[in-house]
Formats: sequence, C-alpha cells, structure tokens
Amino acid sequence: MNEIGGVMKRIGTIVALLLATQLTAFAQDWDPGGTLKKLSTRASKTVDVTLDRSMLQFASGFLDAKDPDQARARKVIADMKGIYVHSFEFDKSGEYTEQDVAAIRDQLKGPEWSRIVNVRSKSEGQNVQVYFRKEGEKFKGLVVIATEPTEFTFVDLVGPITPEDLRALGGQFGIPKVEMDQNSAGKKGESK
Amino acid sequence: MSDKLEQELKKALRRVEPPASFAERVLARAAEEEKPGAPLRPWPQWLGMGGLRWAAASALCAALATSGLVYHHERQKQGEEAKEQLMLALRITSSKLQIAAEGVQQMNSPEENQP
Repeated sequence: MNEIGGVMKRIGTIVALLLATQLTAFAQDWDPGGTLKKLSTRASKTVDVTLDRSMLQFASGFLDAKDPDQARARKVIADMKGIYVHSFEFDKSGEYTEQDVAAIRDQLKGPEWSRIVNVRSKSEGQNVQVYFRKEGEKFKGLVVIATEPTEFTFVDLVGPITPEDLRALGGQFGIPKVEMDQNSAGKKGESK
Repeated sequence: MSDKLEQELKKALRRVEPPASFAERVLARAAEEEKPGAPLRPWPQWLGMGGLRWAAASALCAALATSGLVYHHERQKQGEEAKEQLMLALRITSSKLQIAAEGVQQMNSPEENQP
C-alpha cells in the first residue's frame, strides 16, 4: 500500500513539474516587456503605442474614408487584434547591447515564428528583421525589430496579415513606396 | 345743534342685523370650496405652480443636453487621439518595412549580384 502511495506521489510530482514547465514556456512565449522597459529607461525619446482590439475598432470609427492613407489603414486593421509599437531613441550609441536585442529575438524561435527578412546595412548600421507568426497556412501576426546605433524599434502586429496588407504597409502612410517583391514575403531573405 | 348731530350719528352707526339667510349662504359657499373636485384656484396661484414645473423641466433638459455635449466632445477627442496613435504606429511600421523592402530589392538587383 505504501509502495502504491509512493508511486502515486512520484507521478503527481512529475505531472506538476511538467505542468509548471509548460506554463513557464507559455508565459515566456512572447513577453518582450521586460527588455522594452529596460530600454525605455535609457532612451532620450520614447514612442509607445498600444492599441488592443477595442481601441483599434474605436480608432477605426474616426478614420476618414476619403483620405487614402486612412482608408488603407482601416482596411489593414479590420481584423487585427492589436498593434503595439515601441520606438526608442538614444543620445549616443551603446545605450543598448546585442544581448538586449537577443533577449527579444530569442523569444521568436518557436515553431510558429518564421524570420522572413533580415536586412543588415553595415555602412549605416541598420538592421531590420521581420518575423511572421504562422498558424497552419495562415499568417497570424508580424513582428519587426529594427535597430540602429541610436535607435531601437519594436513592432508587433497581432492578427491575420495578408500579402495585400503587407504591400499596403510597405511604402504607405506618407512614406515613398518601393515595390515589395511579392515572392519575398513568402521566402526567407537575407541581405548583408 | 350738537345734540342733533349726535342723534344723526347714532342713527347712522346703529347695529343692523343681517338678513336671516346670510349665515347659511356663507357656510354653504365655504363647504363648496373645500370639496376635492372643486374648480382650481383662481389665476395667479395656478400659473405660479405651472411656471415652476416648466422651469424645473427646462433646467433638467438643459443639464442633460450639456452633459451629452460634454460626453460627445470627450469621446471625439479620445477618438482623434486613438486615430493619431494608430496612424503613427502604421507610419513607423511602414518606414521599417520600407527599409526591409529596399534591402531585399538591393539583394535581388543584378548590380548587387555581380561578383
């Protein structure tokens, strides 16, 4: 009887440990907040935009359909669940380290994440990485990590993203357009 | 002379008894006015009560309209702010995707691929 009790206790402990591991993994799945908070304390200029679904719907009601940019914005955010943008400017380079960026990047290594684009410009020190979150065959989110010596930008778009949305986002909203290769959105590219 | 005047004054001011039905008529009139279904009181008092009701209703309407306008104004302001935030977020996203697109384009251009 005691042996059965001991075995049950061990099974219980193993199940609890497995659950704890799963819960920890889930909690760490996507939480860049700690790193971003750390960077914001060092930044000289911070832009924080946090728009959840209800705020997006609310904002959508105020978009002017006659304005081309705003009409495009309404289309892009129609099914979005959230838009989170954090951009930091620093007075001098070296205010954030590669480890800080890696702390965020490491969270995008799960099977649902795919790095689509990694652009590095050694001359300008620019580095832009674009990640897609996939669920089956559908894109369910987009993350952009852009770094410059004195600037760090993190963009998290939560919700279904279509290639049309991507084309609408690239080179719109007052930014001159460079045609995005339709195929590049579907394959991993790296420019160094 | 003075006696004659005195006599005339006494005659003029002598007590005169009211007609026999006077008391009954006064009591009947008073009873009629106290009945519940009696007609409303005469003009000045009735108008005073109505005016007060109208003033209270008007004040309530004005208060409701004012609070509605204030709420609408606040909502409009919050909406415009949310819209500005959204457009800023999309501009930042667009600018970074633009850099990525330029990088990919450079990588794909024939000049870049030449040895």
